[in-house]
Amino acid sequence: MEVEPAPDPLQSIPKSPVVVLMIGMAGSGKSTFMHRMVVRLQSKQKRVYTVNLDPAVRNLAYPVNIDIRDTVNYKEVMKHFGLGPNGGIMTSLNLFATKFDQVLAILSRRAESLDYVLIDTPGQIEVFNWSASGQIVCDALAVSYPTLVCYVVDTARCVKPVTFMSNMLYACSILYKTKLPFIIAFNKKLGRGAGERIKVLRIDVIPHDFLKEWMEELRRFRDFEKLGDALSRETSYVASLARSMSLAMEEFYSNLRSVGVSAVTGAGCEDFEKAMVEACKEFEESYVPFLLEQRRDLEAKRRAAVEEQAGPEKAVPLSTPITGLSSMRTIEQTRR
Amino acid sequence: MKYAQFVMGPAGCGKSTYCAIIQEHFKVALRRTCRVVNLDPAAENFAYDCYADVRDLISVDDVMEELDYGPNGGLVYAMEYLSENMSWLEEQICDALDDDYYVFDCPGQIELYSHLSVMREVVDMLQNEDFRVAGVYCIDVNFIEDSAKFLSGALSALTAMVNLELPHINVLTKCDLLPEGADVERYVEGDSEAILSELRTSMHPRYRKLNVALGQVLEEYSLVSFVALNRDDEAWADELTSSVAWDGLLGLKRRQGAARTSSEQNENSE
Repeated sequence: MEVEPAPDPLQSIPKSPVVVLMIGMAGSGKSTFMHRMVVRLQSKQKRVYTVNLDPAVRNLAYPVNIDIRDTVNYKEVMKHFGLGPNGGIMTSLNLFATKFDQVLAILSRRAESLDYVLIDTPGQIEVFNWSASGQIVCDALAVSYPTLVCYVVDTARCVKPVTFMSNMLYACSILYKTKLPFIIAFNKKLGRGAGERIKVLRIDVIPHDFLKEWMEELRRFRDFEKLGDALSRETSYVASLARSMSLAMEEFYSNLRSVGVSAVTGAGCEDFEKAMVEACKEFEESYVPFLLEQRRDLEAKRRAAVEEQAGPEKAVPLSTPITGLSSMRTIEQTRR
Repeated sequence: MKYAQFVMGPAGCGKSTYCAIIQEHFKVALRRTCRVVNLDPAAENFAYDCYADVRDLISVDDVMEELDYGPNGGLVYAMEYLSENMSWLEEQICDALDDDYYVFDCPGQIELYSHLSVMREVVDMLQNEDFRVAGVYCIDVNFIEDSAKFLSGALSALTAMVNLELPHINVLTKCDLLPEGADVERYVEGDSEAILSELRTSMHPRYRKLNVALGQVLEEYSLVSFVALNRDDEAWADELTSSVAWDGLLGLKRRQGAARTSSEQNENSE
């Protein structure tokens, strides 16, 4: 398979396709939300391309164009390197990241005929966030296309104020890590089975509005007592820290785009699309000049990281050859 | 009073190595035993001498095989199983005597700290058993290449801290892998001025206020301080244990009537 050279790092960043990185904790409903967005965007005659980066996922809810599982067999990696589940996922992702320029080449070939590229990340959120490979993927995408980060949050799990705070802190952490336009999607998670539906409906009644209300209150900075009240009901000493944090986070919220969505019913997706458009504008207006400045740097860093990753792996014979990437082409061809 | 460290951090950040080093340090320098308990049901090999292993109770591999779960579901199932069988863990530590020192090697998945209550239950159980528990959050220094990433790391540590409500120490691991002349000192000393000024140039202006606000909180609660871990440098462990914050938090010197520290303040406030 011929690998086309990656696009010249110094040409300007094209306006489309928009790349959306879906990040979220395990079970927050990333895949379901992906599915919802794919269906929705396609019904609007948008051309969508999907990439799955989770090597351990069993069934994907959405049609996928590039799938890490075609390239790296995570079970084999575990067996071959004698790793546990976590190490397996991480190594698989690292192996894939060394070949990410091929993904970029495919994207660049298809770029003109695409509107959106949605990327699903592993449920082990810290594997993507705190590994060299996650960074390679992020950086490589950000210097090539308008890239947004969508942090999917399970609303039902945010009911406890402390949980909410720690979720927001983690969101903040991701924001600093990726330095990209950021959307938070409060997913009103619904169960998969119909039997669960009744139980779940009750959970679903929790509107994400109350979370937004907290944020709004903080944003106005006049009356943060509501969250304060809720937090002081928790008897913990950390509550005082959380209170100070919530004030500091006021800035975070004011910069934040948050949308309530339901992956199952599709409610709120329109708002999400709007948020995407806004975030895109933001990317073009304020991030592009910024990125262009840092581009040489980023590119050099990425190369170095890829080499570093590729180095030790080369020495070990792979039971699952990366040449499996050719299957990307088959998928791509069938799509044509 | 018994002591315990909870060692947390993302996968591959060197938690197990940290545990091994601590154990070695206890053995060689302090001439005390330090029992390391593995709480990660998905753990692979580790370098330390394991006193109790959660995988004797349940391992993610078995769950994945028998229940046909993925790695995530497997971990959650295993941890919930642990929470239902907390008596197993109690049995493992019930023979602990005064001044005994335990280190718990925890799984790295952040959702265990932000969403599930099992880690909290373990901590509560230990505290009921008269343990003094401190959290240690490990971060791979190689991912802290600039101030934004540093802040990102501090925030992810904070996520765990907010939920576990433990006195907390951040450890920068793998400092021996840093290239020559790398500047970790700044982060170790928690020079928030320098960090903020760097953020000003490297982050989008839009986040300037957020930077300042976060910087303040981190400084006020002195969360910016990290301890650097360099396994080639034997002195680090001494330095580490001799630093007041470290001693106070982990209770090493407490018997000698050490100064009032945050962990004690914490106790008083309870």
